[in-house]
Amino acid sequence: MPQFEQVGVFSSLIFWSLVSFAILFVLLKKYAFPPILEALEERESKIRNDISSAEQLRAEGQKIKAELEAELKKAHEKANTIVQLAHDEAKKNQDKLLQETQAKIKQMQQEAEYEIQSSRNKLFNDIRNYAAELTVASVEKFLRKRLDDQTSQELINESIDEVIRSMEQSAN
Amino acid sequence: MESPLHHFELHPLVHINILGLDLSINKAILAMWAGMAVVFFLFKAAGKRDSSLVPGKLQSVLEIGMEFIRGMVEEFIGKEEGKKYFPFIATVFFFVLACNLIGLVPGSYTITSQLVVTGAFAICIFIMTLFIGFAKHGGHFLSILVPPGVPKIMVPLMVPIEIISMVARPISLSVRLFANMTAGHTVLAVLFGLAMSASLVIGWMPFGFTVIINGLEIAIAFIQAYIFTTLTCVYIGDVINLH
Repeated sequence: MPQFEQVGVFSSLIFWSLVSFAILFVLLKKYAFPPILEALEERESKIRNDISSAEQLRAEGQKIKAELEAELKKAHEKANTIVQLAHDEAKKNQDKLLQETQAKIKQMQQEAEYEIQSSRNKLFNDIRNYAAELTVASVEKFLRKRLDDQTSQELINESIDEVIRSMEQSAN
Repeated sequence: MESPLHHFELHPLVHINILGLDLSINKAILAMWAGMAVVFFLFKAAGKRDSSLVPGKLQSVLEIGMEFIRGMVEEFIGKEEGKKYFPFIATVFFFVLACNLIGLVPGSYTITSQLVVTGAFAICIFIMTLFIGFAKHGGHFLSILVPPGVPKIMVPLMVPIEIISMVARPISLSVRLFANMTAGHTVLAVLFGLAMSASLVIGWMPFGFTVIINGLEIAIAFIQAYIFTTLTCVYIGDVINLH
């Protein structure tokens, strides 16, 4: 086997491999490993920071969410209360308005009835007065002048015209 | 048919001789340097974009590798202590992986198929663990030779057993990597030799196998780099956290 038989190359193999390894070790340790190790550590710390800040943000977010939910609940309750109050107020107003309107209608009805009644009474009185006046006037004319039929007829017509005129005057 | 082990032979390309020591450059060393260069420039290219927070494809792949090794180091050595050893462990992983993978390029060479190389690394790691152990625990480090809960009467028996098991560590570490790499390449060489020597009618079969085995070898390159690195972590972790 050449690896055991070629004794002459042993010294150079051992020497160069150890020396080369030492040089590679120094080169890698000084120039090659540090940037990569730094990058690894930097990334590790960045990831760790990111995770912790993300967790913090999540906790904050949850807190805000809980607060908002509480606020929302409160707002809902408030809104419900306002709606209820408005509803009650509206109902109260409606009832009040209804009562007022009913009272007004009743009053108007009463007033109208009273007016009708008084107008009727007045009319009746007027009619009675005019009838009496007519009767009195006719009778008066009739009694004063006992004239012929033609004359009496004219007298009657005259008295009727007179009554009508006086009625028209009182109406105006 | 030429020997399937033929391609493990090394011939000097540039002759260097210092103090009587032959330090000639050969194919294996060139391949290793190529692998190292790839590793270094990949890392440089990935880190060039000012290590952005959103990584590119290359950076993502390397980061996965780094994270993987970091997890391993933290598991076996410890979170705080591990930081000190991370660059070394990561270099071991990427060095072994690059050497394993570059050998799969046709015409290249897998330096980890040389037992002297894997052995040198294993012995260095072993010696390093001893240094770390003594530096951290002083004389108390020797208690690693006595597993906890062992009756005193058993200590004379346990100490040699523990010494053997300690010494076996670099051996197993180096032989495992060497054997896996050598075996894979030998199988590939045998199959390719068969494909080349047989007629086309039957030759496609071993050639097809070389394709499959090549895929398998890529997986093995990763697995062996992983095992080598994990065991290195375990050995260092053992001497840092005594029992």
